[in-house]
This record gives sequence, C-alpha cells and structure tokens, in this order.
Amino acid sequence: MRRRRRAFPRRKVCRFCADSSLAIDYKDPKMLKYFVTERGKIIPRRISGNCARHQRRITTAIKKARHIALMPYTTIQPH
Amino acid sequence: MRRYETLFIVTPDSSEEDLKAVAEKIQGVVTGMNGKLVNYKEQGKKKLAYNVKKQNKGYYVLMDYLGLADLVAELERNMRLDERILKYITLKLADTVDPEDFEVQEPEPSEDTESVAEVEPEVDETVETQESEEER
Repeated sequence: MRRRRRAFPRRKVCRFCADSSLAIDYKDPKMLKYFVTERGKIIPRRISGNCARHQRRITTAIKKARHIALMPYTTIQPH
Repeated sequence: MRRYETLFIVTPDSSEEDLKAVAEKIQGVVTGMNGKLVNYKEQGKKKLAYNVKKQNKGYYVLMDYLGLADLVAELERNMRLDERILKYITLKLADTVDPEDFEVQEPEPSEDTESVAEVEPEVDETVETQESEEER
C-alpha cells in the first residue's frame, strides 16, 4: 500500500531572481522583515523560496540591520 | 580611493545644535584625512529595535564618502570616543573609485538617484568581503 504523500507545496521561485528591480539593502528593515519570523529569526530558504545567492544576501543584510539596531536580534527582552 | 558608507546613530536627547556639532566633527575628520564627502544625510529620529546604551531611540545618519582605510580607522575611533554616537556600521561600496567622478558634498536629489543605481550591483559584490570590516 502506498503511504500518503505529504502535500506538495507549490514550487516557489526566488522573488529576487524573478524581479531584478528588488534590491537587498540592510537599511531597509521593512523589506527584510518579510524574511524573519515574528520572533526575529531568519526564515530558512526552504520556506522563503529564495535561491542560494539571494538567501545569502538576505542573511547578511539582516545581520547588518541587527547590528545597527534596525532589526531585533530577538523580541524576547532580556531583563 | 575607496568608497565607503557609514550609518551611525546619534543619541536621541541631542538638540539640533548637537546634531550640527556631530556633523561638523565627523565631516571634519573625513576632509581632514584627505577623504571626500559624497553625501551626508540625517534620516531623522527612529525607534531602535533594541536598547543601545539605555536609549530606545536615536537619530540615524547616513554618510557616503571616499577615502582610504586609515580614514575609516580614524573615523571609527572618533565615533567610539564620542558619547553622542551610540553605534555605527561601515561598509565598503566600491574598491577603486575615481574621486573626480563625484561632486563634493551637497546632497542633491539628482545625484542621489544616480548613486543608488550605480551602487546596487557593487553592494552585492562586496557583501562577502564586508564582514571583517564592520565586525571590528
């Protein structure tokens, strides 16, 4: 008997490859916000659908934005 | 010469005059070390994502300039010592730049759009090599 397959999500295309006008910039937290969870964790490539090259750029941009306090490292505030 | 960009945060309780004083001081360092200021833009008061030196707000200032590595070192040293500056980040935008290609100072909108279009591919290219620069 065939085991039930997991639902196949739609194959996502990297949005940065599809639209070259989108720029990845650490100074733009509004755009980067899209690639982190509510808690501020970076969303993995398998979920976000980015290609390797753009995921890498997103990741470095988010880390830079965190460094300059444009984005949170975490939303759980330490006491 | 190299092209750099520095984004820094000035403490929120600074007045107009304080901001002016910071601008003068920072720009003085750039020009004093044979650098060339391309753009100096105050982005206004913004809320910080987390507290920095017990402040939850700050004035962001973005500065674009040409210079050499010793200028960056001197600039960052000054920023560390200055209590009005909470945090900074410096990025190299381009490795070899002809200083003649840039207008000195004056943040004109026309120049702005031009530099944005020109910079984007460069930013991507330099991303990998940046890490060591700014983590310091």
